[in-house]
Amino acid sequence: MIKERFFLYRKTFLALIVAGIFISIPWVTSDFFVLMAIRVMYFGMLTMSLTFLAGELGVVSLMQASFFGIAGYFVAILQTRYGLPFPFPPLVGIAVSLIIAGLLGMLVIRVRGIYFLMLTLVLGQLVWALASQWSSVTEGDTGIMNVYAPVLFGISMEKSKTAFYYFQLFFFAGATWFLIALRRSPFGLMLRGIRESESRMRMLGYPVSLLRYAAFVFAALVAAIGGVFFVYFMGLINPSSVSLATNVETLLAAILGGINTLAGAVLGTGILKTLDVVLSGITKRYLLFMGIMFLFVILFAPKGIIGTVRNYGRSFLSPLMRWFGLGED
Amino acid sequence: MSLILLMSILNGLTLAALLFITASGLTLSFSLMRVVNLTHGAFYLAGGFVGLSVLKATESWIIAGLAGGLCMAALALFEERFLLRWARGNDLIETLVSLSIAIIIGDLILVIWGGYPKTIAIPQALGGAIKIPIINLPYPLYRIFMLGLAIVIIGGLWLFLKKTNFGITIRAGVDNFQMVSALGINVRRLFTSVFGLSGFLAGMAGVIGGTFMMLGIGEDWRILTLTLIVIIVGGMGSLGGTIVGALITGLIYSFATAFIPEFSLFVLFLPVAIILSIRPQGLFGKEV
Repeated sequence: MIKERFFLYRKTFLALIVAGIFISIPWVTSDFFVLMAIRVMYFGMLTMSLTFLAGELGVVSLMQASFFGIAGYFVAILQTRYGLPFPFPPLVGIAVSLIIAGLLGMLVIRVRGIYFLMLTLVLGQLVWALASQWSSVTEGDTGIMNVYAPVLFGISMEKSKTAFYYFQLFFFAGATWFLIALRRSPFGLMLRGIRESESRMRMLGYPVSLLRYAAFVFAALVAAIGGVFFVYFMGLINPSSVSLATNVETLLAAILGGINTLAGAVLGTGILKTLDVVLSGITKRYLLFMGIMFLFVILFAPKGIIGTVRNYGRSFLSPLMRWFGLGED
Repeated sequence: MSLILLMSILNGLTLAALLFITASGLTLSFSLMRVVNLTHGAFYLAGGFVGLSVLKATESWIIAGLAGGLCMAALALFEERFLLRWARGNDLIETLVSLSIAIIIGDLILVIWGGYPKTIAIPQALGGAIKIPIINLPYPLYRIFMLGLAIVIIGGLWLFLKKTNFGITIRAGVDNFQMVSALGINVRRLFTSVFGLSGFLAGMAGVIGGTFMMLGIGEDWRILTLTLIVIIVGGMGSLGGTIVGALITGLIYSFATAFIPEFSLFVLFLPVAIILSIRPQGLFGKEV
């Protein structure tokens, strides 16, 4: 009886374990690990937005960092140049990012597959060019500095990284929950239908273009939230945050973890950011290393860690994963 | 007409010619193999740097151009033969493989040639400026040479595709790939050689472009972006469309550089947006 009930709530159980781990990080680990976790979370939101598009629409976007960066740039500009008080810069930043996603979305949903990748690459590069060239607004390649994290409930997020961590965790959990809920909702089911057979969904009377458009904008929202925390944490923003390297790194993180799962997105980001820290102490050739790793992952493990574990680790890990409801779906 | 207007037109035409050379290789390999070769920009930049080194050693601009082209052709052959063929049939994976190679090459360039922007020295015979007769305007001689050279390459490519057996096979493959393979033509060899040709064009374009523009880090992605815009505007798989796309892109970019430098690249968003809203397949592209 108890066992059955336990089985029934196993996903809640899993969620509680994960939440427990995340909440306890500042208590049980070092300051360095907290800083790493903060980085992994905001880049994780960027990766999740790419993963969501890849999983639900079946397209690979090379411009999610643009929405991440646009939100970050607006926070930086509004705060340093116009001195707007706290809740407004992030709100305006996310809103502008969404409006731009809404405009560009009208273009990108018209194309599919490889054209989508090509078009998002071009649009992402144009956003990068704007960030780099429009120096009267974006300060060019030096970027905007001295962006401070806000003071909330009398606690300065700038001084207390633990407070920053919890502040971000709240939004990170919200964004994750939002994407999971979207995926489970009728909206997510319709998207999956479009991915499997677009013509059939069209024939059944579903507004296919509108649904794809909405998915694109939702994904941009998650990336934009990540961008706000990025600029608060770093204290500066420059064109490298919207560069192709950032976009490719996001894609690599998504593929490394397993492109169709949100957990894979966070896992991949975590691994990549750890490597970033380790390698930057040893060599300046991070890009070279990233390129080679990208090549190997695509050629030998295109399903990423989670996909590979599902395929090969059946005997050991799979029963556990299936028990938690993480098996094939 | 004012001076700056004329200069912009001439610069735009030169850039358009350069973009045509890079875009034609890309659009050929795309329409044959359904792979957007994102390594193309890296081939351009690496070709330019190879040309720079060869020029230092041999002091011959022509050998430099050929060396840049041939090295990149070899690299492209290697990429197709050993990496892309591995993932043949999955166009997305193939494209991502080419993206990863572009990143690797880009960083290797930084290791070999350093981070400072460089230009290829103008050949001595082409130094100085000449007066263009009718409009009575001095214009650097080598730029006119570049424009002429580009037109010769365009003409050569055109003749190659229209008149030679091999060119005709390529065009047939673009139109109806299955029919060509059913007729007993070695498709693998066709793919590999088109890829090599496209690499050769990109590498040579790098030497040509490196003589009148800077060669530096980031230039690979700038050229790739411009090339992709040419293809999006002109339409995939159409050489005529590529010419029109290159003219539109080159002229807009050159005018924007002269008049609104802060937005020189971003302005290209306009043609892309307009074309995509009216004709998603590009001006001369075929209905997918």
